[in-house]
Amino acid sequence: MLKYIVKRLALAILILLGVSLIIYVLIRCMPVSFIEGKIAEMNQGGATIPEETVENMKKLYGLEDDSFMGILKGYFNWLGKLVRFDFGTSFKYGAPVIDVIVDHMGVSFAVALIATVFEFMIAIPLGITAATHQYSIRDYVVTIAVMIGISLPSFFFGQVLKDFLANKLALFPPSGLVDATASNTGIALLGDYFMHMFIPILTVVILSIGGRMRMTRTNMLEVLNSDYIRTARAKGLRESVVINKHAFRNTLIPLVTSLAGLLPSLFSGAIITEQVFDLPGIGNVAFKAMMQADIPFIMGYNMFLALLSVMGVLLADLMYVIVDPRVKLTK
Amino acid sequence: MSQENEKVVTSKPEATEPHDKNVKLLSPGRMVARRFFRSKLSMVGLLMIVGLFLFCWLGPIIYPVWGETQQDFSGKTEYTYSLVTYEENGETHSFYQIVETGKEINSLAAPSKDHILGTDKDGRDVFTRLMYGGRISLAVSFIAVFAINVLGVVLGGISGYFGGVIDDVIMRICDILMCLPGFPILLIISTLLDAANVAANMRIYFLMAFLTLFSWPGTARLVRGQILFLREQEYMVAAEAMGYSTSRKIFKHLIPNVMPQLIVSMTLSLGSMILYEASLSYLNMGVRAPFAAWGTMINIVAEDSNILQNFFNVWGPPGVCIIIAVLGFNFVGDGLRDALDPKQRR
Repeated sequence: MLKYIVKRLALAILILLGVSLIIYVLIRCMPVSFIEGKIAEMNQGGATIPEETVENMKKLYGLEDDSFMGILKGYFNWLGKLVRFDFGTSFKYGAPVIDVIVDHMGVSFAVALIATVFEFMIAIPLGITAATHQYSIRDYVVTIAVMIGISLPSFFFGQVLKDFLANKLALFPPSGLVDATASNTGIALLGDYFMHMFIPILTVVILSIGGRMRMTRTNMLEVLNSDYIRTARAKGLRESVVINKHAFRNTLIPLVTSLAGLLPSLFSGAIITEQVFDLPGIGNVAFKAMMQADIPFIMGYNMFLALLSVMGVLLADLMYVIVDPRVKLTK
Repeated sequence: MSQENEKVVTSKPEATEPHDKNVKLLSPGRMVARRFFRSKLSMVGLLMIVGLFLFCWLGPIIYPVWGETQQDFSGKTEYTYSLVTYEENGETHSFYQIVETGKEINSLAAPSKDHILGTDKDGRDVFTRLMYGGRISLAVSFIAVFAINVLGVVLGGISGYFGGVIDDVIMRICDILMCLPGFPILLIISTLLDAANVAANMRIYFLMAFLTLFSWPGTARLVRGQILFLREQEYMVAAEAMGYSTSRKIFKHLIPNVMPQLIVSMTLSLGSMILYEASLSYLNMGVRAPFAAWGTMINIVAEDSNILQNFFNVWGPPGVCIIIAVLGFNFVGDGLRDALDPKQRR
């Protein structure tokens, strides 16, 4: 087991190196230069920037050489700093990349966590009823409903909910995270947060229930067709015991495993949902940084995402072994 | 010789005739088709997709009143008038001077006979743009899914069949590509396209080409896993013993057995590809105005909350179209999965 984990971790480092190289080269090819943008901004302010300062600034940010070797050098520079856990300083936000990520992760994490909890709470019972009443009206209604949920484009559905719940009914604030006009503290502030996060969470939950419910249904159907369920019924056990105790426990295996795979989505933030509701989450911040070619931040953010997905895959595989004793590690 | 041939032909129907008249013989393909067409949901899905295709490709031919980027200048012509007085020979004359200030763009018109779904901010017909937008969205998704699957089948097939070092290399590339964050990467590539001055209506094709380059690992893994499993089957050992060529083994014995799963995953990924394309266009990275795509048509609400609140006829229909397309493909994919599942008995 330990050997397997060590091997996988070594592989993960290799993968991350490959990912970082691809992203770095792509970013350096970006035509939007942060410095040029900044200088244009300064020029608009009336000041004229001498050529020397521009060169100095480029040097300061490590962008003076745009040739192939220059990019390669910049990459190894970045890598060298990374080994010392230094992700560099964000151009746009003027703070260490890690700080910016940590600062804005909270909102994304809160939305994703609450949404995931609700998703499981709603999707699992739905999946089980659909499976136990296969081909009945109930099965069809639930299936069609969640299929519609899967098919909704997040930006469109988010706007519909925003228009209806926030603008027409005025139940919730349409965008942002805090009410700027009121200075709430303590519990009132938390309540304010919740009011602002309600529609984004609702959007995410409705969009994601479908996948989870179908997963539960498929697994439950598979389990219900197995021999030991027939045995349990033949013993004369009550149907509720058969379903909830014998069948459901085995349905849990893939569900628990998929929990580990959720790791990236919990922390990475949803770019589009956060855009629609103007939440100051990590996805929104990253989108703005990307539009301005904030190289250290884009690198940091993308590596953070890649790291999360590598860890997610590894954890999912390990969970599988832990949850299901029949599975053995082979490699 | 010819007599022999005739004999074979005449005896053939008898051979497939069941001994019991009540038993009906069906080929596996016919059985799949029967199961598929019996399922109501997949029929509904099929109808939705066929309907959308007809709407998008035949629509502009049947209803050629407006063009994709054509603006309606028939808006209310505005006049300004002013009273002009002047004196001549001691008499005072006055007249109204009426000035026509040019034809206005008929923007944000309500649904009417001229514009079935009204017009958007720039006076373009929403209904017509729906059709042209659908062409882009559907065509791009089809091309991308097709390309992804060709790449995935070839690379996954090579990987699974030959194994060894080739397998290792391809699988490591897969690992790396699967860890690339898709959306941020496309954002970066989108700005690269800006710099390269790619035409507004070609951008989305380039973006989807890059998306294809990053997305084949999923299919490749599916194909590889399936081929690894199939390689150990008895009939493959038999094929080996018969001394078949490699290409015959791959294309005649392995690929057809991967097809069922591939078809299902293709249909389902068509739906998600449409969503992907729409999201790209929504973020103004894909198709850009004045050209239409469903995502682009919704994009306007992000900037203009007046349209969001008051003009559902501008941004609602494209959203509904996206939902219909994705839902249709999901229904069909689901139906195909059930129909192709050999364990199904219904």
